[in-house]
Amino acid sequence: MHIPDGVLPAAVCGAGYAASVPVAWYSLRKINQEQNPRENIPKAAILTAAFFVVSWIHIPVPPTSVHLVLNGLLGAVLGYYAFPAILIGLFFQAVMFQHGGLTTLGVNAIIMGVPALLSYHIFRMRNIGGEADRIKTGIFGFFAGLSSIALSTVLFLVILIYFIPAGLDVEVERSAIYTLALAHVPLMFIEGTFTAMVTIFLQRVRPLLLARS
Amino acid sequence: MRFGIDQYPYLDSPLHRWDPRLKLIGLMVLIFAFSFVGSLYLLPAMVLVTAIVYVISRLPVSFMLTRLRYPSIFLLVVVLLLPFLSGETVVASIGPLDIHREGLVAVLLIAIRFLCILTVGLVMFGTGPFLTTLKAMRALGLPAILTDMALLAFRYLHEIGDYLHRMETAMKLRGFRGRRFSWRGLKVLAWLGGSILVRSYERSEWVYKAMIVRGYGHARPPEDEFRADTTDILALLGIILVAAGFVVGDILL
Amino acid sequence: MPIEKTNELVLEISGLHFSYPDKPGVLEAINLRVMAGERLGLIGPNGAGKTTLFLQVCGVLRPSAGEITVLGKPVLNGDFRPEVGLVFQNPDDQLFCPSVHDDVAFGPRNMGLSKEEVEVRVKEALSAVGCSELAGRPAHHLSEGEKRMVSIAVILAMRPGLVIYDEPSANLDIRSRRRLISLLQSSAGTILIASHDLELILEVCSRVVLLDGGRVVADGNPHDIMGNDDLMTAHGQEKPHSLVPHRIPHQG
Repeated sequence: MHIPDGVLPAAVCGAGYAASVPVAWYSLRKINQEQNPRENIPKAAILTAAFFVVSWIHIPVPPTSVHLVLNGLLGAVLGYYAFPAILIGLFFQAVMFQHGGLTTLGVNAIIMGVPALLSYHIFRMRNIGGEADRIKTGIFGFFAGLSSIALSTVLFLVILIYFIPAGLDVEVERSAIYTLALAHVPLMFIEGTFTAMVTIFLQRVRPLLLARS
Repeated sequence: MRFGIDQYPYLDSPLHRWDPRLKLIGLMVLIFAFSFVGSLYLLPAMVLVTAIVYVISRLPVSFMLTRLRYPSIFLLVVVLLLPFLSGETVVASIGPLDIHREGLVAVLLIAIRFLCILTVGLVMFGTGPFLTTLKAMRALGLPAILTDMALLAFRYLHEIGDYLHRMETAMKLRGFRGRRFSWRGLKVLAWLGGSILVRSYERSEWVYKAMIVRGYGHARPPEDEFRADTTDILALLGIILVAAGFVVGDILL
Repeated sequence: MPIEKTNELVLEISGLHFSYPDKPGVLEAINLRVMAGERLGLIGPNGAGKTTLFLQVCGVLRPSAGEITVLGKPVLNGDFRPEVGLVFQNPDDQLFCPSVHDDVAFGPRNMGLSKEEVEVRVKEALSAVGCSELAGRPAHHLSEGEKRMVSIAVILAMRPGLVIYDEPSANLDIRSRRRLISLLQSSAGTILIASHDLELILEVCSRVVLLDGGRVVADGNPHDIMGNDDLMTAHGQEKPHSLVPHRIPHQG
């Protein structure tokens, strides 16, 4: 889901950074409106590190294994902290592992961060019609996970394929996007299921973690 | 657990000695200038500038080679696909597949930009302790929330990573190989992920308590630990000029 | 900073009760008076309420009832009282800054001290625990013993009048444990130590309080309390080896 350096034209990279600023500003504003922002910063920070580590878990998907993106889960658990968390996560990945990109940090933040924030709202819907039980948590957890990865995948493919500096004609671009998106559908289901399983686990073991949603 | 970017933070080179804030600004500007380049003629100049920057940094070549190994796999995919898929002018053919000129040009552009940007990035973050870099970003005006979060996240990343490693070992010793996909296997991994989150959450509650015992939230005097001298500033101006040269050059060509 | 062994009352806890919403009676009717220079050991089974008590003394938790006074001033929830320091059970919970130097400086900085004074405190604290050479290191590069010593330094830098140690010898190897005991024995201030390491308590403390089920069960001379078989076994403890009468003498 990360667009590397060198692929996108500078204008798109700049636009990515420019778009990240208002989203970050909005997230920080929402965070400061919370009851106890001071107390939640250490929690969000350490959870950011935790999510980073969780994404290192190998999920066997024959013939190989994949790492899940989990931005839906991130949104469900962290709420508006998800956007700063993703900014930090992307920065760490680019600097420590040369994965992702420095010029494309803004673009990648939008690709991953905006769907995460959307997932937060989707997950919160589990409270509709009364206190969320395990079934509702699982269902909305699934959709939170699925929708964020689906949206991120589409954004990623569209941006990558439209802006790659080559004379790809429209037909090739469109079919590339469709095929690659389709290839990711099984992964989307795995992410959705994984997200549901984790949220159910959290609801059972430490519901406080999900208190924000 | 070592995250390798920190491997050579204390060498003695002009880049190690450069004020970290100005280094960040200067090299970032250069990186963006590289990403602006669209003309093939500027590519050799890019490679030259990158090489000079890397040599001045005194970072060993092995460092660059190891760090670039995995990201270059992505390059391979692009190199293999684009010349066949994109463009109209055919320059060569392998059997039924045509190699197009536009595709080759694109591949060259992407590859060189990618490698140059990543190498300069290695210099930017590899010539000082990672934590100094974060402090420099705070000094440059990054919101306190982001830098505080980043510092804390970095601090506990290692512990949590170690925990994951121990848990995976423990699971392996109890027969969970995790090589084939199964829904039950996925659930086990989901529980592993969940327990990492719960443990981290509980740790964060204790960290918060430790912070308030030592006065977190009470007025702190601003920290001004960076001081730029004339050489630092001149170096920044120099780099910006070079970057501007690339941009202007690309517009003219 | 040496404190004269005067008759100054450093800590007074009266009528303290504490309950969690889902867990009543965590602490009940706690009365405790600690004088300057005393070294008090707090023993008792896990879950007796020791850590909860400490957090209230530091102003992190609010008692359900009762009063806590430190050095003459009542402790209010949310106060920053650098006169009381709490060394946590897990050093990793307390070392959250990028480097050892930053961690030790954290408290003094929040006290509003000048940059120079902060540096003085950092040097002093690190040298008191014998870790001056670790100043530039990040916390995750330290060994368990080093982390323990640094986590003490971060508290000493605030020059507290009362230092509370929560299970300080847990996870330490023999050498580090010995260093810790020497440090505790040579400290001139008032200290409170909660520990399962009863030998450590014997070596360091002049007074022992036995806490069980949220209540003070015994308070007095370490040998009397820890040497009392019935008392110790009744509250999930064992006599420390040093107090067990030897029927078979040690060889050599």
